[in-house]
Amino acid sequence: MGSPEAEDGVRISVRGLKVRFGAVEAVRGIDLLAYGGRGTALLGRNGAGKSTTMRVLAGVIPPTEGDVRVDGIDVAVEPLAVKRASGYCPDVGGLVPRATPWEHLQLTARLRRLDSWELRAQDLLERFDLAAAAHRVTGGFSHGMGRRFSVVLAAFGEPGILLLDEPFDGVDPLGVEATQQVISDAKARGAAVLVSTHLRDLAMQACEDVLVLRGGAAVAAIDSADLVGEEGARAYRALLD
Amino acid sequence: MRTAPSWTELSWPELSRGAGDLGALFAFRRHGLADASRRRLRASVLVCFALTVSVIVVPAYLRSALPSDRVGHLVAVMPSFYLGFGVLAIMASITSGGGRELIPRDEAVAFPISSVTEHLAALLLAPLNVAWVIQAWAILGATSYVFGPHALAATVVPVLLWIVLATALGQVVGWTFEGLRRGRHGLLVTRSLSAAAFAGVALLVLDDHLTTVLDHSPTVSVYLASLAAQTGHWTRWGISLAVLLALIALAFLAGLVPARWALHRPLRDELRLEGERHEPARNPRSDLAAMLRLDRASIWRSVPLRRGLLVLAMMPGAVALAGNLEWRLITLLPGLVASGAALLFGVNAWCLDGRGALWRDSLPVAPGLAYAAKVIVLFEVLLAAAGLTIVLAAVRAGLPDRAELAAVVGAAVVVSAQVVAACLGWSVRSPYAVDLRSARATPAPPVVMAGYSARLAVVTTVTGLLFSATSLAPGPGPAILLAIPLLCWSGWRLARTAAAWSQPAIRSRVIAVVAS
Repeated sequence: MGSPEAEDGVRISVRGLKVRFGAVEAVRGIDLLAYGGRGTALLGRNGAGKSTTMRVLAGVIPPTEGDVRVDGIDVAVEPLAVKRASGYCPDVGGLVPRATPWEHLQLTARLRRLDSWELRAQDLLERFDLAAAAHRVTGGFSHGMGRRFSVVLAAFGEPGILLLDEPFDGVDPLGVEATQQVISDAKARGAAVLVSTHLRDLAMQACEDVLVLRGGAAVAAIDSADLVGEEGARAYRALLD
Repeated sequence: MRTAPSWTELSWPELSRGAGDLGALFAFRRHGLADASRRRLRASVLVCFALTVSVIVVPAYLRSALPSDRVGHLVAVMPSFYLGFGVLAIMASITSGGGRELIPRDEAVAFPISSVTEHLAALLLAPLNVAWVIQAWAILGATSYVFGPHALAATVVPVLLWIVLATALGQVVGWTFEGLRRGRHGLLVTRSLSAAAFAGVALLVLDDHLTTVLDHSPTVSVYLASLAAQTGHWTRWGISLAVLLALIALAFLAGLVPARWALHRPLRDELRLEGERHEPARNPRSDLAAMLRLDRASIWRSVPLRRGLLVLAMMPGAVALAGNLEWRLITLLPGLVASGAALLFGVNAWCLDGRGALWRDSLPVAPGLAYAAKVIVLFEVLLAAAGLTIVLAAVRAGLPDRAELAAVVGAAVVVSAQVVAACLGWSVRSPYAVDLRSARATPAPPVVMAGYSARLAVVTTVTGLLFSATSLAPGPGPAILLAIPLLCWSGWRLARTAAAWSQPAIRSRVIAVVAS
């Protein structure tokens, strides 16, 4: 049985998250709720704690303090179950340099127990204009190609939780369009989507909710409509200072 | 006079600037070390210096304790011994793509580092190689032993200069080879050259002309220079030193030309591997098979790993073939090969995933399985390389008896297990972010690599010697009895590292570092 939050449509619940690396406190207390069928943008300057929060939600980094649940599963207790529930596009690299995209997809399909996945994989590769590079090692990819393929990998298993860390960074307009489509599709099937980015306009297109982080802590949880346009830019600028 | 703007790197001002830049780069690396690492580094330098003085002084006073005919044998082979060091210096430089990098390539792109600086750095880093150090100590010790304590300092000076000269010449050949390799038909050219060199040596061995050729080695002059110090022919000694010094300067300057040439050529082999199509294999049937497939691809599609493993598997075997080694000595080879192979990537095993480590760790797979994949892939690579060496060595060694077979198989399995256990421990304790794309890349900083190689060399050599002793037994029992506790010990170490790896905090640190 799901938790009460899951029944309310909450798929990600973070309370008092803190992450320390030695003497450095990367995240200093974040609360966050993300709902199925909605997109939540994590905005903030460099070092605000966006990527660290995403890594915790992906089950890659354990929280130092706080309660973090993905689909009601405690990340600290069952990271493997969290990994099964989520698809994650890391902020850096994210690809094994001497493996091909198809080999990445094969591994993902195997570990996520996906059957008859080949057609979906082919479709995603074509949508992201990567079909021609499917059997070349990713070490020769441009930055934008790497970002696009990381999004493909995250979305491939149609996860209930889609975590995209800087998915638009260095990506061309067609890649941005394909990424926005993947986000829309995920929301349409009821997934909770978290997008961490510096590109406010794109985040506002993709997400309904926004959490602004500063110095490892949340400074505002607002509706994305409040950060649209010139007025939104000024409001966002004020939150960063 | 400058002949073209592109050759400005070969001017005197650039030489001076290159030396200055080298100092800045060394300082940059030194600042990146923790206090404990700096203390360990200072201690290691002091220990190395003390050992070098010891290998020069101690053998000189041992001479009278050994039969004079042994000294006679040594005198006859000294020039060949010196030549052997030169061959080693050349091989080390070729296999490291011209020479080691002081700053990894992806970090260096932000700085205007000239080929002069690269050449100087490669020369200074060349001794951070346990084979180089041991060979250098061996020729210094042998020289001291042959000549005795009289005028000892003056006697070893020519040998010290030869060590410097051989290293500088090794760089000239190494850069040239790397430049050729990066050419349009580089692989064909370099493989043809390697095959021709190998065939030439094989012909000399088979025709029984190797000794005649070695008797005319130019290193006879180095031996004669040392002899001049002994006999008080100081003018001849001084001239020899002046010639060696001039040759060192020439070799250093000559190395600048192929260094610049090689470093300005595209990495064709690497680019070819990145651009070529890899036909998809059928879908893996198990999680472990899927993990192993990616790791194997990461090894065999890396130019430095592929080349290094091939050289490591072939060279000791070729030496054993040429030297007609007996089975009791062949037990030493698996340790040599396994240590060398592990230094290609095993000491930082998660670097195979590079920046993909973060994605890979986000996949739903038990940490133990991810760990097992790294253990298996490293173990199979070490065993395969050691196996190929043993097969080559066996060609002239004939059929082993049961004790010899048990000893050599035991040595191969045990040293591979020891090396895997040590490497996985280091990989979890001290991960590094490295890109193994370039032939000059190493899985850890050069100083750290020197420490790893020394530790692996000691452990595997001692183990090899123990198995060598068991090969003299009447049956395989002693080798088996020796192997069981050693394998258990390695198994316990692997289990201990697996327990550390299963902790999310430790695992996330390794992943974050490797993927950064």
